[in-house]
Amino acid sequence: MMAVLDNFLFVGLPYASLLIFLVGTIYRYKATKFNYSSLSSQFLEGGNLYWGSVPFHWGILFLFFGHLIAFVIPHSVLAFNSEPLRLLILEIVAFIFGLITLFGLIMLLARRISNPRLKPVTNWMDITIEGLLITEVILGILVAYTARWGSSWFAAVLTPYLYSIFLLQPDIAAVSAMPLLVKLHIIGAYLIFLLIPFSRLVHLLVVPLHYIWRPYQRVLWNWSRRKVRNPATDWTITKPENN
Amino acid sequence: MKIQFKCMVILSLFLSGVMALGQDEGEKLFKQVCVACHTINDGKLVGPDLAGVHLRRSEEWLLKFIRSSQSVVQTGDPVAVALFEEFNKIPMPDNAFTEDQIRKIIAYIASNSPGGPGAAGTGGVSPATGKFSNQSLQGDASNGEKLFTGNVRLSNGGPSCISCHNVKNDKVITGGILAKDLTDVYTRLTAAGVQAIIGNPPFPAMSQAYPGKSLQAQEISDITAFLKLTDDIKKNQEGTNYGLTLLLSGLCGAVVLLLIFKGIHSRSKRGSINQHIYDRQLKSI
Repeated sequence: MMAVLDNFLFVGLPYASLLIFLVGTIYRYKATKFNYSSLSSQFLEGGNLYWGSVPFHWGILFLFFGHLIAFVIPHSVLAFNSEPLRLLILEIVAFIFGLITLFGLIMLLARRISNPRLKPVTNWMDITIEGLLITEVILGILVAYTARWGSSWFAAVLTPYLYSIFLLQPDIAAVSAMPLLVKLHIIGAYLIFLLIPFSRLVHLLVVPLHYIWRPYQRVLWNWSRRKVRNPATDWTITKPENN
Repeated sequence: MKIQFKCMVILSLFLSGVMALGQDEGEKLFKQVCVACHTINDGKLVGPDLAGVHLRRSEEWLLKFIRSSQSVVQTGDPVAVALFEEFNKIPMPDNAFTEDQIRKIIAYIASNSPGGPGAAGTGGVSPATGKFSNQSLQGDASNGEKLFTGNVRLSNGGPSCISCHNVKNDKVITGGILAKDLTDVYTRLTAAGVQAIIGNPPFPAMSQAYPGKSLQAQEISDITAFLKLTDDIKKNQEGTNYGLTLLLSGLCGAVVLLLIFKGIHSRSKRGSINQHIYDRQLKSI
């Protein structure tokens, strides 16, 4: 029975997630291009958003690329970790980023639930994704704490499993022997991946990286607000378009 | 009559070929997986000597036990419980063999047991007759320590032991806690057992970590020597636990990062756009 469940969760689920992710993201981009975004609510609330969004995004970027590097160049990660001091530094830094990601997510959830201006722009998928991300990060922190040193064993044991998935020759012997927390963390990652096309997470595929290099845009208002709003002023001077 | 004879010859050749293939697969699987802990007619290792096991236990029992020994132990099966107790409560890992594969392994064991057709030629099957034979090599504990922690990389590029294992030895940092603590592994498994497992890991996660990256005989001896030393001196070691350090460093680091974010945020706009209009509308309701 466990073997069937493991096959479903570690072979079926990743392929289902990958397929739904590919088809879903392409379909949504074709069908509803204009809501292919993070659907920012910064105009509605900006203060608490900073304490949620900034720690969360810095944290998740570090963690995502950390996992990606261990997947793409596992031998280099193992070589880096071969010096115990470097291993300790990497683990502690990753742990710090895990904690600030969790802090950011909790702030975001609290803001979204408590702020009345955000209620009309919140749907059940936002809350689902938020809950899933919080669970995933808590599991990740628990794995880092209870099954250290994850940066090394991920590269040694789980990278071959992920390769086997991508090479269409799934081998789940190692992942089936992992502790429950690690298994749940992997399943959570597949579920998040699966829900990307149905949620605001699609924005990670359309990050406006060109903003970093594009020149500043200067915005000018060539009119005096006082003059425009004065009933005595004729509309012929300037019709406000930018307000 | 001649045709019948020819048919019988061809059929028997075909059947013996199939049986030889089965035998080959049984031998291959035995040498890949079982040989880390078991011998055939060469004495106890981590687990029992399997010579004649096909006569001692029923095939049904063997099929269940080889698939998942712990499930059989948990049912209270007296033979399984006695074996578990006798061999220091070291659980045999579950194996994802098919029934057919297990039958081929049993056939291989049977043919190499005393009285079997293969027994006379081999003189026993054990790790020493497998791909490594390092029991005569002298291990260097200090080099073993470096190999264990990763200060010296394993020559075939495998991960260092500390990634998953911890030992209570004040000279090395706390190891990983994904897999078993190895402080007293030398007492539990003896040199032969330790060397057998390092040379041919039977555990799924460990074997996944070393495909095509088997350790050299000298490396196995050095690590075994280090584990023996660790076992010998364990009473004088305080042992370190980085769990609390990790937690506290993580919390302090997170606070420092948040302070940096606060510094960056100090000059940015706090309120939202037209909050006063929104508030005014709420008041008017």
